[in-house]
Amino acid sequence: MIMIMISTDASAPAKRRTKPSPPENKWRTGARERAYRSRLLEALRAAGERRASGPRAVKEAADSALALTARGQSRWSRAVLLRRRSRLLVRAGGRIRRRKRPRRRPVGPTPGTGQPEEGKKVRDRLRALGRLVPGCENLSTASLLEEAADYVAALEMQVKAMRTLADDLSAAAASGNGRRAEG
Amino acid sequence: MEKERFFGVNWQSMDAGMPPEMNSRAAAADQLPNSFLNLGWEQPMHHDAHFESALSSLVSSPSSNTPAGNDSVIIGELIGRLGSICNSGEVSPPSRYQSANTSCYSTPLNSPPKLNLSGMDHQQQGRGGVPVPGNQMAAGKFSPFAADPGFAERAARFSCFGARGYAGLGGQFGLPEAGKLSRVSSSQSLKAVQMVASDNGKEVPVSEPERPAMETRSKFGGEAEFGNSQEASSVSDRTTAVGAENNARKRKAASKGKAKGAPLSSSNMNPPKPSDGENSDAKRCKPAETDGADKDAAVKPKTEENGDVGRKQGEEGNAKPPEPPKDYIHVRARRGQATDSHSLAERVRREKISERMKLLQDLVPGCNKVTGKALMLDEIINYVQSLQRQVEFLSMKLAALNPQLDFNMEALLPKDMHQVLGQLPQQVYPLDMASTAFSYAQQPQGTPLQSIVTNSLDVQGSLNPLESSLRRPPTMQLPRLDGFTDATSQLGNLWEDDLQYVVQMGLGQSQGTAFSSQTMPVE
Repeated sequence: MIMIMISTDASAPAKRRTKPSPPENKWRTGARERAYRSRLLEALRAAGERRASGPRAVKEAADSALALTARGQSRWSRAVLLRRRSRLLVRAGGRIRRRKRPRRRPVGPTPGTGQPEEGKKVRDRLRALGRLVPGCENLSTASLLEEAADYVAALEMQVKAMRTLADDLSAAAASGNGRRAEG
Repeated sequence: MEKERFFGVNWQSMDAGMPPEMNSRAAAADQLPNSFLNLGWEQPMHHDAHFESALSSLVSSPSSNTPAGNDSVIIGELIGRLGSICNSGEVSPPSRYQSANTSCYSTPLNSPPKLNLSGMDHQQQGRGGVPVPGNQMAAGKFSPFAADPGFAERAARFSCFGARGYAGLGGQFGLPEAGKLSRVSSSQSLKAVQMVASDNGKEVPVSEPERPAMETRSKFGGEAEFGNSQEASSVSDRTTAVGAENNARKRKAASKGKAKGAPLSSSNMNPPKPSDGENSDAKRCKPAETDGADKDAAVKPKTEENGDVGRKQGEEGNAKPPEPPKDYIHVRARRGQATDSHSLAERVRREKISERMKLLQDLVPGCNKVTGKALMLDEIINYVQSLQRQVEFLSMKLAALNPQLDFNMEALLPKDMHQVLGQLPQQVYPLDMASTAFSYAQQPQGTPLQSIVTNSLDVQGSLNPLESSLRRPPTMQLPRLDGFTDATSQLGNLWEDDLQYVVQMGLGQSQGTAFSSQTMPVE
């Protein structure tokens, strides 16, 4: 069954929340990749059906497939799926009012090095990272890093799967074309 | 109960007076004669209750009747007072440990002559400023605390334990108690012994009741020693030997921890007072233990490392470089570090963040060489961007190949279908169970969509509006499982349904409502 795990970031001092397990391990299992591949295929076919074969559509489908494979356990996956959904709604002609989470204070206090310069640099980079990861813009540092780790692992898997799929397709196409040409 | 045994033995000495008792308490806190007490302290007052009853029967101390909780409170209060003197940096305020134990720890630190936490805890210095010239100081310190009868009682209790019965007990627990506690206890016991010996000529050894209490566990190791060596010298010798390393370790751990958070001022503390260090470590360890087993585990390696790293008191300095990677897991207040809740929280937070950074470092290739948050984040950002670019590139490639998807579907399907088929059942059945199918609007229907829209999607918030909007007049349509032959359309539908289902399940798991599964007819 689908297991949904809502990750909560406990910032309470007394509560020391230990990282359950490194995210990359989850993403590197073959099962995940196979799951992703199947979903990717579905998405691609669906996209093909809808005549949405542009690269952007393909990318969206791939990202949605990835987010789906994440089983909603991570914030970015949920954000990706919601984003897609709302986009569809927008396309449908509706007006989507998205209530953004109140902007949090910028990434945490100084890293403790005691140098404001470094703190500022770190903060800027953390914010940039937040913008890169979908759905993690106004997030605390700890959860941002956690999401980023999961996202990086997922991206790696996505790239790997897409590459093999593309290779397979091109190989099949090449052989198919060759055969067809011959036949 | 052994405790009772001890009680009987030492109770007589309890009447020595409040201050001495308090002192002994404080001292005892460091030294764990309380192995028993620790039990009581640690486990929420189970033992305390016993203690209380036993105590009350034995000694008519005012606080004896207080429920276990009160004891801790009293002790905590005393500890706090002592703490101010001793500045047991490590010992977090009772609130943290939720038991007087913590406070006990702090006190003993002050009282025992060796309490000097080797400089690790500058705060200690600030607080107690007690280089601890000697037991007398402890005694002196205790006088202010005499006010607390409960404390005195406890002190007496502890001391009793430490002095007498621990001999037998100590043997059992001995040093083998690897845990921090054992170390702590030993240090504590050492201190206690010393304190007792020097402090009052009373028989009641001042064991650190508090400390042991904190550790409750079998940190008896220290106590064992303590009990055995009634004489301060012998005890001290033993404790020093035993506790020294523990203390050193603890100290190191503490200092490391502290170093991270606060500048270590430890020059004063540095005076080699192994017992003190131990005490502080013990205190620290205790709180850590109370915090959780995992903490202990973490601390153990940490403290060991710390100890091994070097007893130098200069650890307090910048803990960052020497800080072993494992340290950040602990929340324990370390020596030389502030123990107020803010800094502790701060430390926890920092540790969490550094832990995540390490995770990322392992994930992103090439991050091992760079050090420092800024550079690492740079690398991470570059890596994420490159990955995203690759995804785009591959999607372009796939888009070019897409027209051939159908052609190759037959070729690809067989091998993929297995996976798909394998997974679909799980996906589909759940769909039947509960999920509002929300098709991706291949053909958006006005009504449902508008209802959805009006609900104003909240990206972050619960999906309630989304889901409620999705609840449409049930058009029950089981996902077409039969149409695997018609892979494309079927998969397309299932894909969307699955997607929606997962999203909703994930997002709306908080709501336990079961939605009727609906599948919007696609196309």
